[in-house]
Amino acid sequence: MRAFISAVYLFLYAPIALVVLFSFNAGRNASEFTGFSTMWYGKALGNTFLVAALQNSLIIALTSATLAAIFGTMAALGMERLRPRSRAVLDGLFAAAIVVPGVVIGIATLVALVEVFSFMNPVLASVWPGENPPQLGLGYGSIIAAHGLFSMALVTMIVKARIASLGRDIVEASSDLYATPLTTFRLVVLPQILPSVLAGFLLSFTFSFDDFIIAFFVAGSKTTLPIYVFASIRRGVTPEINAVATLVLVASLMMILIARILMREKKPTN
Amino acid sequence: MALALNTKRGMVTAALVAPAVAWLFIFLVLPFIAMLVFSVGERAPEGGYQPAFTFAQFANLPARSAAFWNTLVLAPVGSLVCLVVAYPVAYYLAVRASPRYRLLLVSLVVVPFWTSLLVRTYAWMYLLGSRGIPHLLDMIGFEDVRILNTPGAVLLGIVYGYLPLMIMPIYVSLEKLDRRLLEASADLGAKPVSTFFSVTLPLSLPGVMTGLALVTILLLGEYLIPQLLGGGKVFFIGNALVDLFLQSRNWPFGSAIAVTLVVVVVFVLLIAMRIAWKIAGTRQVDLV
Amino acid sequence: MSKSYKENAPISVEQLTNELMRLKRGSVTRRHFLGVTGLGLASAVLAHETSLFSTPAFAEDLGKQMSIATWPNYHDPATFEAFTAATGVAVEVNVFGSNEEMLAKLQAGGTGWDLFVPTNYTISTYVKLGLIDPLDMAKVPNYNASTETARFTAEGVVDGTTYAVPKNWGTTGIALNSTKIKTPVTSWKDFFQVAQGEADGRVMVHDYQLTTIGNALVSLGYSFNSVKPEELAKAEELLIKVKPHLYAINSDYQPGMRAGDAWMTMCWTNDGAQLNRDVPEIKFVLGKDGGEIWSDFYAIPKSAANKPAGYALLNYLMDPANAVKEHIANGAPTTDSRVLSLLPKEVTSNTIVYPPEAELTPLEFGAAVTLTDPARAEVMARFKSA
Repeated sequence: MRAFISAVYLFLYAPIALVVLFSFNAGRNASEFTGFSTMWYGKALGNTFLVAALQNSLIIALTSATLAAIFGTMAALGMERLRPRSRAVLDGLFAAAIVVPGVVIGIATLVALVEVFSFMNPVLASVWPGENPPQLGLGYGSIIAAHGLFSMALVTMIVKARIASLGRDIVEASSDLYATPLTTFRLVVLPQILPSVLAGFLLSFTFSFDDFIIAFFVAGSKTTLPIYVFASIRRGVTPEINAVATLVLVASLMMILIARILMREKKPTN
Repeated sequence: MALALNTKRGMVTAALVAPAVAWLFIFLVLPFIAMLVFSVGERAPEGGYQPAFTFAQFANLPARSAAFWNTLVLAPVGSLVCLVVAYPVAYYLAVRASPRYRLLLVSLVVVPFWTSLLVRTYAWMYLLGSRGIPHLLDMIGFEDVRILNTPGAVLLGIVYGYLPLMIMPIYVSLEKLDRRLLEASADLGAKPVSTFFSVTLPLSLPGVMTGLALVTILLLGEYLIPQLLGGGKVFFIGNALVDLFLQSRNWPFGSAIAVTLVVVVVFVLLIAMRIAWKIAGTRQVDLV
Repeated sequence: MSKSYKENAPISVEQLTNELMRLKRGSVTRRHFLGVTGLGLASAVLAHETSLFSTPAFAEDLGKQMSIATWPNYHDPATFEAFTAATGVAVEVNVFGSNEEMLAKLQAGGTGWDLFVPTNYTISTYVKLGLIDPLDMAKVPNYNASTETARFTAEGVVDGTTYAVPKNWGTTGIALNSTKIKTPVTSWKDFFQVAQGEADGRVMVHDYQLTTIGNALVSLGYSFNSVKPEELAKAEELLIKVKPHLYAINSDYQPGMRAGDAWMTMCWTNDGAQLNRDVPEIKFVLGKDGGEIWSDFYAIPKSAANKPAGYALLNYLMDPANAVKEHIANGAPTTDSRVLSLLPKEVTSNTIVYPPEAELTPLEFGAAVTLTDPARAEVMARFKSA
């Protein structure tokens, strides 16, 4: 059993080890190790387009995850109060947002937006008073919206499950003690659901940061990190890509570590 | 949606769900309607879409039967192989691993998610290409072995990419398992094997079902792994779909396939839930 | 129709005299004269390659970055670095595997490309769909229509308006690893036979309707550009029969060929030259039975965000001093006699790059109809998803 488990971990980590190893390659090729060097880290950070792609990915992931966390949590709270039929409809829509494949979401959003833009842009141009009417187009907005759709559904599901496990009695107890609904929310409900909101936020961030297929269709001229990587697989991958992947890995490991330390300080008994 | 807007409570509720409803409407319902409209249209002479009302696109679906077939075979097979690999790992983590290292080992299952799947799959392109594993095989006497760009390579990539998603739900369900049950079973003279089959396995089934459904559904829309490890030869329906938009520029046919794919996904989901209810005897299946 | 490179290669005394006379009469520019007579290189070296064909002072703001859509292994990275050094504009290089994909992206809108590289047979469609701008030739002073080879440049002009200027021409032939494949391969018929025999599992075809279907048609004795249903059906049958024996369907075949994963592939001239240069056992042959001859162009999308930079890069690439470096790096034959005269002998005598005219005779230019023909698109898609 031990041997099998070790083999699985080897399987999971062999490609990652390879990625990290080649980030220190002296050669320009990502397939032949010719010597140790850290130059690709410098090159990666000096590459305007790679850095821009990384920035775009961070902006998009942060924005979509934040919006998803806020709207998703609001929806989860609101759905508790809906009539069963409306709730069932919303539940169905959220489930659809999760299970409809990313490739379909990407294409459908593209198709719909292209139609909307080709209708809206002339309209905007005709009513615009100034010289240069704004042009609607694909970009940050469309990626954030398409990513946010899945993420929001995810957050809603997670938070709803948490609210369901809370039970109503604690809220009722609070209002029996003459707390206003807002106070009850702030002091009783929010602290209870916060961990699940955070979990939803983190999952959303990870999803958006790593998504290729949706962004591939709706990104327009914006390049996200996965789109950049996909393009460089065609162009010939240089160890720059490995260097960035390694940096992202190290950054996320650091965040986990910091989170663990912070949590340990809060609960010294653990 | 009948909201009671006349009361204050109704207004608060409406305000809470309004952003989500708007979002779902604009970026889910509207695109899906667009897709439906496109699917009964025609390909414009230079590619793209022109309005029409025809079911020709749906009638042409058999032209992609191979891709549908590939998907409908490789998605369940892939998730079953995932399960076979994942179960022992989840079991080990939840039952056998010493508590000291458990959290570390569980984290290690999740960490690969923080390196781009694209980059990791690219690493597999190298490992499976002739400078990687085939080169090692060559040294021990197996010449000219080809792994990259075969269905086997795609299957391997699938298992690699989705393994953590299978391990986690099973681990969670096994971890909830009351260890006293296992002890009780052993005390009553059951051999470990029969304890496993009569106690552990049934109790972990909800996790297994969640994992299977999750991975299968995600695989039905897979594009990247067949694209990179299948050499453009092992086509999933996702690849056929992208191809229709990026090469043939046949938007109506692509839309028809997308609509069909959604129907397939919903169908598979319903079957999975039906089986899950039967097996787990519960109406609660967490898919997320 | 063969006003080919050869007429211009080594200039004769008589021609030199004529050119001199024309220069004196003022009917040619100094640039043309120097280019044609091969003095360009010498003066360029003397002048540190700057004064002769220097880009005009940039009247417009070029911005900080631009983006070009092109083909795999098609440029010398140093070219873009030099352009960035000269202008301060960073160039993002996007690589595509087919004209269809470029067209699809432009049709969907929002590509962000400021310059791209379409192939001859696609340009009339781009014009028809209003996706590319007519070129403002005043912004491309380095381009000289009179030194171009009309055979390769004609399709850049639609109804008298120049929409695209040529990058280079080339052919689609067969690259094969001669240490692995012993059967002689001289035609597309051989190609598809060996693919199912000696090179089983080691052959690549393009991810691209024109050449993959076209060469299958050629191997069956039909025209490369056929859109006849019964001929396409035969080609589809052949392709689907061959598919299980293929290594991959991918237009980026250099990595596979270099690593030894693939032994034979449909191959463009420039890739053939690069592969043969770096891995001498990889040979490049043209199909005796036919195949494609093409020319690639530079064009500016209507939707380009930074047209000034697009023009600046275009003009930079049209400068023979830069074009010659690109040529030496990527190995695609030039359409411009000025560039030809600057090339070293080992390039002009390389028969992969400049094959004997007789070998080009059976080849066909791609026809515009193949790009938009729904039947060809669908045959390709069915082949891939089979």
